[in-house]
Amino acid sequence: MKRRIPLTICLFCGLFFTIQFFIPHHQVRQVYADGLRWLIVVATFAIVMALGSLITHHGRKVRRRDKDWSYSLVTLLALLGMSIAGFATGTRPGTLFNKLFLNVQVPMQSTMFGILAFYIASASYRAFRARSKEATLLLLSAFLLMLSAVSFIGYYFPRITAISEWLLMVPNMASQRGILFGVFLGTLATSIKIILGIERGWMGGGR
Amino acid sequence: MNEFFIRLSRIDRRYIFLFVAVSVIIPLLYPLHYPTRVTRHTRAVFDIVDQIPPDSNPILISFEYGPSTMPECHPMAYAILRHSFARKVRVIGITLSADATGLGEEAMQTIAREYDREYGRDYVFLGYKPGVTAVMLSIGEDLKRTFPRDYYGRPTSEIPMLVEVHNYEQIPLVIPLTGSATATFWLIYAGARYHARVADGVTAVMASELYAYLQTKQLSGMLAGLKGAAEYEHLVRSAGYTLSEGRASRGMDALSTLHLVIILFIILGNIGFFLSRRAAGKGPRS
Repeated sequence: MKRRIPLTICLFCGLFFTIQFFIPHHQVRQVYADGLRWLIVVATFAIVMALGSLITHHGRKVRRRDKDWSYSLVTLLALLGMSIAGFATGTRPGTLFNKLFLNVQVPMQSTMFGILAFYIASASYRAFRARSKEATLLLLSAFLLMLSAVSFIGYYFPRITAISEWLLMVPNMASQRGILFGVFLGTLATSIKIILGIERGWMGGGR
Repeated sequence: MNEFFIRLSRIDRRYIFLFVAVSVIIPLLYPLHYPTRVTRHTRAVFDIVDQIPPDSNPILISFEYGPSTMPECHPMAYAILRHSFARKVRVIGITLSADATGLGEEAMQTIAREYDREYGRDYVFLGYKPGVTAVMLSIGEDLKRTFPRDYYGRPTSEIPMLVEVHNYEQIPLVIPLTGSATATFWLIYAGARYHARVADGVTAVMASELYAYLQTKQLSGMLAGLKGAAEYEHLVRSAGYTLSEGRASRGMDALSTLHLVIILFIILGNIGFFLSRRAAGKGPRS
């Protein structure tokens, strides 16, 4: 029963959302629109579950004094602090929550991302070497793309921009399209397996 | 001399970090005002917004970036909002990422004040709604049932500029500003299913994935990374909609200089690599 009910709901919803696409009747559209709002409600529950999972995971690390438990404590304190600020003052501009977000979270997260520039520069210097024919091709295309991303090079040497655009619109697009076909055929196959109950990993339980 | 180049291929990473820091900080402090060449994909987005009649149906901007991708996407939001508000094009703002709520709201309020635009008549911010694809599809059925209230708790049915707006049919352009795969989701769910016109503003790393959709014209235009944002700022400034230089143009000076420094290091590294291989009696492998 515990497995049969979710599998039946999944089969029903999967078939309905597929079939409704081909039936433009207003009643079917109404059920479809209601179903979409249900989906939004379910997604909201997912946030609650994620929050519970975060607290359980980091709470366990702090209780057991696992490796780097102090970072988990900071995570929990930050979560508590932001939640209190949000519930007490609201989230509008000028509130404590908004000030914490704009003046603490935004600079911290931007800094973490900004550090990548240093590592990418160092990695490009070491990795982009013409060790073989393939590496030389990669090096040349990366070189041209980087060069075209320099404002004044693109302005004074439009041919470089034209070549880099050709690289993006022809070889890059051909490979991307191949990847996209693969990804979406895989998605389709997995979706059919889930709807028919062949793939049951989403129900948990390790099977 | 050879020894010098060989040593250049083994530069300590700390020196590279130092060069990177200098090449970013100096142009930010002292703008270099590099000239900008506008790509056709950026111009396409500008032209669509430029052709929307003033005080007509609103465009929809979906803010889907967090603080990490903010340096690339936030200037796009500023530039598009400046263009829209200067031309009295109405704007609906939503977010599908919780992180983006504060950023989207800040961008809309800041630019609305700059052009003296009125909330509810010229623009509206509907806030965050979880569910990503379900939200995209649900807007296609009924915008006001998807967002019964705006970010400030006001019923959307009472907001004047939304009276005539029911779904994508009344929205001439959807612009997701994102650093994630949702750029493609908008094309699949809003574009293919509801025939919404979509133009993406994405981070530079995301852009290469979207060229296939540009070629098929499923994507009407694209702002690619900070460069795309700087190009849009340039167009808005050239058309006389603003006098301010904009964040992206200043950031682009730093990014261009950084690219040149990286290119220089790559060249030096390869010269050293070849000389060291020649000294060791090895040619390049095929």
